[in-house]
Amino acid sequence: MSAAKRVQQWATFARTWHIFDCKWQDPYESANIIKKYLMGQHKPIYHPLNDCGDVVVCINSREIALRGDEWRKRAYFHHTGYPGGASWTLAWELHNKDPTMIIKKAVYRAMKGNLQRRHTMQRLFIYHEENVPEDIMKNVSSQIRQSRLVPTRLDHIPEEEVKQYPKVMDYPKDYVLK
Amino acid sequence: MVFLTIANLVRVRGPDEFWRKRRIFRLAAHYIGRRRNCYSIAVRNVHRALVYATKARKLKKQDMIDLWNTRITAACEQHNITQFSLKEGLDRANIMLDRKSLSDLACWEPRTFECLAAVAKEKLQLDGFVNYADKKLPTGTELNLRDVMLEHWLKEEKH
Repeated sequence: MSAAKRVQQWATFARTWHIFDCKWQDPYESANIIKKYLMGQHKPIYHPLNDCGDVVVCINSREIALRGDEWRKRAYFHHTGYPGGASWTLAWELHNKDPTMIIKKAVYRAMKGNLQRRHTMQRLFIYHEENVPEDIMKNVSSQIRQSRLVPTRLDHIPEEEVKQYPKVMDYPKDYVLK
Repeated sequence: MVFLTIANLVRVRGPDEFWRKRRIFRLAAHYIGRRRNCYSIAVRNVHRALVYATKARKLKKQDMIDLWNTRITAACEQHNITQFSLKEGLDRANIMLDRKSLSDLACWEPRTFECLAAVAKEKLQLDGFVNYADKKLPTGTELNLRDVMLEHWLKEEKH
């Protein structure tokens, strides 16, 4: 083995396909995580001029969770270019129209605006549900860790388990449950 | 030339106008259009370029520091250790590597960097230093600390 080959690292610039489950995740927080993988900032070989970014596949983008009352308060601005062409769409309206748009815009805004940004965005695939086309899913070999735990809803826990859960007290007989 | 007032004598800038202009034109040689051919336009652009060059000498260093930080953070994330605790652990183990060397190791010799991360982690464990940020968001694989056979070396006093 020659001295130069001793430290050879195979497939250093290979593109890895990552999958990210957006279920119950804050899109603006997860955009920073997705951005890191898209731009290749998770690799020690990162350089803004080298093409070391990976591909990220986002699933379940319909089930993202916005903070507080952001669904009602956050507005997305669009201008057609004509006079009076400005429009403001609320987050819940935008999400109803296109469930992938919020996460897409969040990732786009998380990245610095340069010529590379639009090409980097080409490497991001977003799906509003779990079903991903087979030709994309077969490339995926890694999963990005979610930043928040996905809570289990009470009505999704089996009823027997809920009944067996230790109780502090029983409701009084004359107590009216709302 | 005859100067009747001393004020005009002060304004004259010597006989070497050609060479003075040539010095500016040399610096503007790679510009396009009138910026390289007309002196009054060339000199403005050359001055601006020199100001940029002066500022860029600082910015270049800052850019390099940012790049090293990005690389070290990326390498640290692979080994479940934050950049802060890596630095803290290496300092305590008397391994005085700066950010440039650390990022070079992370980029070109990932195994060496892995060992450094393991040493830092082991040293912090021996010292009982707990950084909760490390456990908050596990990003990479846990280092196998059983392979680090440096306990004696880490325990001895460093000066």
